[in-house]
Amino acid sequence: MSRVRYRAQTRGWLSRRRVLALAATGVGVSAVSITGLSLAGENGDAKNDGQPLVLSLRDAAEGTFDVFSGDKKVTITDRKLAARLLKATGR
Amino acid sequence: MSSHREAPEISKDPVADSSDLYAFVSPDDPDTVTLIANYVPLQLPASGPNFFEFGDDVLYEIHIDANGDARPDVTYQFRFRTELRNDRTFLYNTGPIESLDSENWNRRQFYSVTKVDAQGKSTVLAKSLPCPPCNVGPLSIPDYEKLAEDAVHTLKTGEKVFAGQRADAFFVDLGAIFDLGTLRPFQDKHLVGQNLFNYAGKAVNATDKTNVHSIAIQVPLHMVRRDGKKRVRGRDAGAVIGVWTSASRRQVEVRGNSDGADVVVGPQVQVSRLGNPLFNEVIVPMAEKDRWNSLPPSEDKRFAGFVATPELGALLPALYPGLFDNLAALNKTKEPRADLLAILLTGIPDGLIDGFQNNTGALQADMLRLNTAIPPAKKENKFGVVGGDLAGFPNGRRIADDVVSISLRAIAGATVPLVNPDFEPDAAAAAVEQGLSIKDASAGLLKKFPFLGTPFDGFGNPS
Repeated sequence: MSRVRYRAQTRGWLSRRRVLALAATGVGVSAVSITGLSLAGENGDAKNDGQPLVLSLRDAAEGTFDVFSGDKKVTITDRKLAARLLKATGR
Repeated sequence: MSSHREAPEISKDPVADSSDLYAFVSPDDPDTVTLIANYVPLQLPASGPNFFEFGDDVLYEIHIDANGDARPDVTYQFRFRTELRNDRTFLYNTGPIESLDSENWNRRQFYSVTKVDAQGKSTVLAKSLPCPPCNVGPLSIPDYEKLAEDAVHTLKTGEKVFAGQRADAFFVDLGAIFDLGTLRPFQDKHLVGQNLFNYAGKAVNATDKTNVHSIAIQVPLHMVRRDGKKRVRGRDAGAVIGVWTSASRRQVEVRGNSDGADVVVGPQVQVSRLGNPLFNEVIVPMAEKDRWNSLPPSEDKRFAGFVATPELGALLPALYPGLFDNLAALNKTKEPRADLLAILLTGIPDGLIDGFQNNTGALQADMLRLNTAIPPAKKENKFGVVGGDLAGFPNGRRIADDVVSISLRAIAGATVPLVNPDFEPDAAAAAVEQGLSIKDASAGLLKKFPFLGTPFDGFGNPS
């Protein structure tokens, strides 16, 4: 395993128990439909087109999401999207 | 146990649970090192129709550090794929399995081997290598040994690999040890046991007649040494490698998707790790064990305090009154156990034991450290280096090494004189043992790769 990847794993450590997963396909959001997002560490991967994408709303007040797609995770912030998703899920 | 179900979270995820790791210069080919990582522990052989297998959704890895920075210079990755041949039967096999491509074998596993170098470059060494089946029984698999031999693959790059079911060769009296630290040979001297027993007991191997799934690879030594040399001297820093295994899963899994398939996405996150036997099991406190499993060895400095003042070292004098008085006195000094820090976290430096070192530098990391210049012993001593056999644990780990007793003796103070010549170990420190040997692992061992014995069959076990 590469040193770089191993370090990335360490930084990205997150207990499986802590992951709040929302199947993006289930709430009508897909990678191409998300607009106006501020991406951190975005790494597009064309081969993942059409594959499920999962959002984890880590901080509702700040609108901080972890977005899981393929073998990648990126962090985005979008308060409006957070509010829409919370409304859609009745929270 | 060595690392069977050693932490709360991984105890519920056996497919990704690393239970034992072995690293030794191969007695069947001394120019190579054999690395074996066991997963899926404590298998009851009679487990049809869903026999045990590797996880298709788990990334299994064996890492080798060649320069002492506790980061991998070579990693071998193993990824598995399960195929169902017949979707109209509930059976694992519909007739005798006499070959690895038998049409009677319904549920088969295949795997790929990928090598990753220090710069992160991945090279797929092999794809679609067949695993052997589980040992269902003599009617289903008339010649299991032949099938297992056929599942040993030699790669074009020189490595030899095997992945599949084996008999678990780890021996431990689990029932006694976790019943208030009892060792049956000394049960009549135990604080509580002396009220129940007036005789020494006979140890029980709790893992006998269980199977595991093993990933074994035999690698030419020059491919794992830092300088690529075929010959090195034992005193050379380049003779020592550090080894550990890990299992990782994708970070997110969403079950019950509308089309029936689970969604598994995100980066791989480590859920299991194993270097030295018993490290996470008896050194790391329960509250920290899951965290330890998620981290690489390069982060182990944060656990050094648990090695320097091991909980078990304080328990021994209390559990066995009068037998460990010198250890109790040592504990009272609150001096860090430099002997254990060296054995487990940095390796033993040159000059402490005649003709031996397996030091990887100052960085504290739990790795199985192997001096690859030390040839296999002609006659193994189950107590390894503590017993004068420099080819055994903690110089790497052989299958027959009694790592439970070696660790007990070290924690009891037998290795303190390495760093403190004035300390006199208690007589019990040189005598304490669990009372088992590889002979109590009734499957026996093979004399050649992959060394672990034929798995117990489901027809005959349990009997």
